[in-house]
Amino acid sequence: MFDWQQYAQSILFGLLFSFLLAKLFSIIFSFRDQNLRIIRANSDDEELQENKESGVDVSMDYSGSDEKQPLIVRQKDNEVIDSDDDDDDEEDSDDDWEGVESTELDEAFSAATAFVAATAADRSSQKVSSDLQLQLYGLYKIATEGPCTVPQPSALKMTARAKWNAWQKLGAMPPEEAMQKYIEIITELYPTWAAGSSSKKRGENANERSSNDSRPMGPVFSSFIHEEESDELKLDAIHAFAREGDNENLIKCVEAGIPVDIKDSEGRTPLHWAVDRGHIETTELLLSRNADVNLKDNEGQTPLHYAAVCERESIAELLVKKNAATDIKDDDGNYPFDLSDSKWPWIQPQAPSLDR
Amino acid sequence: MVQTHKTRLDFPLGLFSAAGRRLTLCCTPINSKPQTQVRLTMSEKGSVNNDTKDQNTSDLEIVNSDLTVDELSREVQDTLSVSQRHKFWETQPVGQFKDLRDASLSEGPIEPPTPISEVKQEPYNLPNLYEWVTCDLSSADTCAEVYNLLSNNYVEDDENMFRFNYSKEFLQWALHPPGYYKTWHIGVRVKSSKKLVAFITGIPARMRVRSEIVSMAEVNFLCVHKKLRSKRLAPVMIKEVTRRVHLENIWQAAYTAGVVLPTPITSCQYWHRSLNPKKLIDVGFSRLGPRMTMSRTLKLYKLPDSPVTPGFRKMELRDVPAVTRLLRAYLLQFVVAPDFDELDVEHWILPKEEVVDSYVVESPEDHEITDFCSFYTLPSSILGHPTHSILKAAYSYYNVATKTPLVQLMNDALIAAKQKDFDVFNALDVMHNETFLKELKYGPGDGKLHYYLYNYRLKQILRPSELGLVLL
Repeated sequence: MFDWQQYAQSILFGLLFSFLLAKLFSIIFSFRDQNLRIIRANSDDEELQENKESGVDVSMDYSGSDEKQPLIVRQKDNEVIDSDDDDDDEEDSDDDWEGVESTELDEAFSAATAFVAATAADRSSQKVSSDLQLQLYGLYKIATEGPCTVPQPSALKMTARAKWNAWQKLGAMPPEEAMQKYIEIITELYPTWAAGSSSKKRGENANERSSNDSRPMGPVFSSFIHEEESDELKLDAIHAFAREGDNENLIKCVEAGIPVDIKDSEGRTPLHWAVDRGHIETTELLLSRNADVNLKDNEGQTPLHYAAVCERESIAELLVKKNAATDIKDDDGNYPFDLSDSKWPWIQPQAPSLDR
Repeated sequence: MVQTHKTRLDFPLGLFSAAGRRLTLCCTPINSKPQTQVRLTMSEKGSVNNDTKDQNTSDLEIVNSDLTVDELSREVQDTLSVSQRHKFWETQPVGQFKDLRDASLSEGPIEPPTPISEVKQEPYNLPNLYEWVTCDLSSADTCAEVYNLLSNNYVEDDENMFRFNYSKEFLQWALHPPGYYKTWHIGVRVKSSKKLVAFITGIPARMRVRSEIVSMAEVNFLCVHKKLRSKRLAPVMIKEVTRRVHLENIWQAAYTAGVVLPTPITSCQYWHRSLNPKKLIDVGFSRLGPRMTMSRTLKLYKLPDSPVTPGFRKMELRDVPAVTRLLRAYLLQFVVAPDFDELDVEHWILPKEEVVDSYVVESPEDHEITDFCSFYTLPSSILGHPTHSILKAAYSYYNVATKTPLVQLMNDALIAAKQKDFDVFNALDVMHNETFLKELKYGPGDGKLHYYLYNYRLKQILRPSELGLVLL
C-alpha cells in the first residue's frame, strides 16, 4: 500500500516537473520568435489575467534585443483591449459604469493610454527603459483596477512576475494619483504627445463609436436607393442646362446657334425640361428666345401638360400668358386641365370638348 | 514549407496583421470569407512556426516594415470597432457567428431558465447622477416626456435628414398590449433635474418558433439622449430590461437592429412605394434621376382614387374573430411568427386613428371576411427642410389574402394610404411581401433590418419570407 502511494507520488512529481520544464521552454522559444500563435495559446490556457492587462509598455525597436521582444509582442495583443478598458462592458460586473462620469483627468488619462498604444505600434519611436515601462504598467493597473489583489505569478514567468511586482509595490495608491503620475511620465517622455495625431485619431474614433452606439438595436430608417436608370434617353447639353436651370450655359448654346426647340429622343424640348424641373427663370429665358410654347413630346404633351402634372402653378400661368394652348390633348386624350389635381380654372379648355 | 510561405505572402499584409490581432483577442470577425481564410492561414502558420523559426521571423519583419504607423493605427481602430461592437453580445446568450456551422448545437434555448430567486433582485448600477424609473405611459405627462426624448433622439437615417417621430398614441398602443408589464417600460432620469435621458422597453409576446410556442419579450425603443451617447449606456439598459424580463420568468426575447450583431435569424430589406413622389423628391427621400422627368414619375406612381376590390372596407370590432382565424392560419406557414389570439388581434390589428389602419374584404354575396390588410403610421421629422417638416409613412403590417389576389389587395392598401395622405408606403420583404413589391412599383431601400432572438438558437439563418413577424 505504502509502496503504491510512493510510486504514484513520484510519478505525479515527475509529470509536474516535466510539464513545467516544457512550459518554460515553450515560453522561451515563443518569446524568441515573436510567435503570436504561442502567445495566444499562452493567454488562453494560463494567462487570461495577463491578457486583460493593458499594453502600457512603451515601444522599442523590433530589432531590439531578444529579451525585450516578449514585451512588444504581448503589448501588441493587449493593445486592442487596452484602449477600451475604460468602457469595458464584457463582464457582468456592476462597475461597468465606473468612469462614466468622466472627469478631465479621466479623459487626459485615456488619451495618454491611447497615445501609448499608438506609439507602441510605431517602431521608430524612441526607446524607453524597461524600468519605466514597468512603472507605467503599475500605474496603469492602479488607475484602472486599483490595488493589486491577484496572486503572485510563478517565478518562472519573469515578465509576468516583474509586472506583478510593479503593480503590487504601488500598494493602495489612489487611482487619481496614478493617472496623474502616468500622464506626467508620458509628458516627460513625449512633451508634445497631447498634440499628436494619435490623440486626434482617437477622437475621431470615439465619434464613430458614438454614432454606432446611437442605434445598437431597434428599427431602421430607410429611404430609396438612388438608382441610375439605364434609359436609352439621348439628350443634348442644352436639355441638361435647361433641366438644371443653368441659364448662363443655356444662353451660350442658343447664341452658338443650337436650335432652341431641339428635341431629345423622347421629343422633349429644353422648355419641357425647364418646366418639368420647375425653373421659372429658365422658362422665361427660353420663351424670350422664341421657344415654341406648344411643341408636343413623343406622348403628345406640351410644356403646359408638364406644368399641370407637376402642379407648377406659376409656371403654368406664365405659359398661358405666353399663349400656351389649353385645348391640346395628349395621346391619352387629356387636356392639361385633366392632368392637374388642382384644377386651375384658367387652364380649362375654352372650347367645350365633345368627348367630355 | 515553401508552399506555406507563399500562401502567407499572398495575403494583403494589412489584413493579415489586423486579423492577427483579432485572433489574439479571440473575438469573432463578421463571417465573411476572406477573414475565414486568414484565420486558417494563421493556424497553419502557428503549426509551422514551431519548427521553422527563422522563416517566421523574417515573415514578421516583412509585415512590420511594410506598414506605416498610419496604416497600423487604422487597423487597430478597425479591429477595435469590430471587437467593441460585438463584445457585449458575445457575453450574451445569443447565437454566435462561430456557432453557425456547428451542426451539433440543437435548436431552442441557449441557457436554461434559472430560478427567479437567483435573478439579480436589485437594478444594475447606474452612474451616480442618474436613476432608474418606470415610465407609466398612461400618464399624459410621462408619455409626453418619452415622446420628446424619442422625437429628438431616436433613430435617424445615415445622412441625418429624417428622424422617426412615433406619436404619443402610437407609443401607448405599442407598449400597452394585453398582459403588458409596467416595469418593462424603463427610463433613466438625471437625479437632480429629473430629466428623462434614456429609455428602453419590453412587451410580452407569445412567439411560435417552428412548432414551439415560446413566451418572449419584444425589446424596442432603446434610446439614449444624444448628449449621453459616449457614456455607453446602451449595454446596461439592455441588461436591465433583460433582468426585469427574467423576473417575470421569461427567458427569450425578439428584437431588431440595423446593424449586424451576433447573430441574425434573418436579414430583411426595406422597400418603398412612393405615394407622393413630388414631396419625396423635394425632401430628399427619393431622387429624380437626370434622365427621368418629374412628369413621368408622377404618372408612374398615380393611383386610382378609391380601392377597386368589391367589399373592401375598414375593419371593425365585429371582424376580430374572422381576422384572427385568417391571421392564425396564415402565420402557421412561417418558421417564426407571433401566436395571436383574439385579444391580440383586437389590440394590434383593429384600426386606431393615426396609429394603425386595417381593411377587410367582405364578400358581397355571403358576407364572409376573405382577406385583410393592415399598415401602421410612423411619421418621421424632416430635419432642416424649409417647407416640409413631417414625412408621413405607412408601414405594411400583417396582410392575408385568401380570395383576393395579394397584389390587388396590397394595391388597395396603397390606395387607402394615399387617400389618408401618406407620402410613402414601406414594406419589408418578410412573409409573402416579395410577391407584390416589384409589381406594385416598390423600390428597394437603403435600410436593412436584421431580426434577432435572445437566448434561442435556430439552426439556420432564415429567408425573409420564412419570417412572419413585424416589430414596430
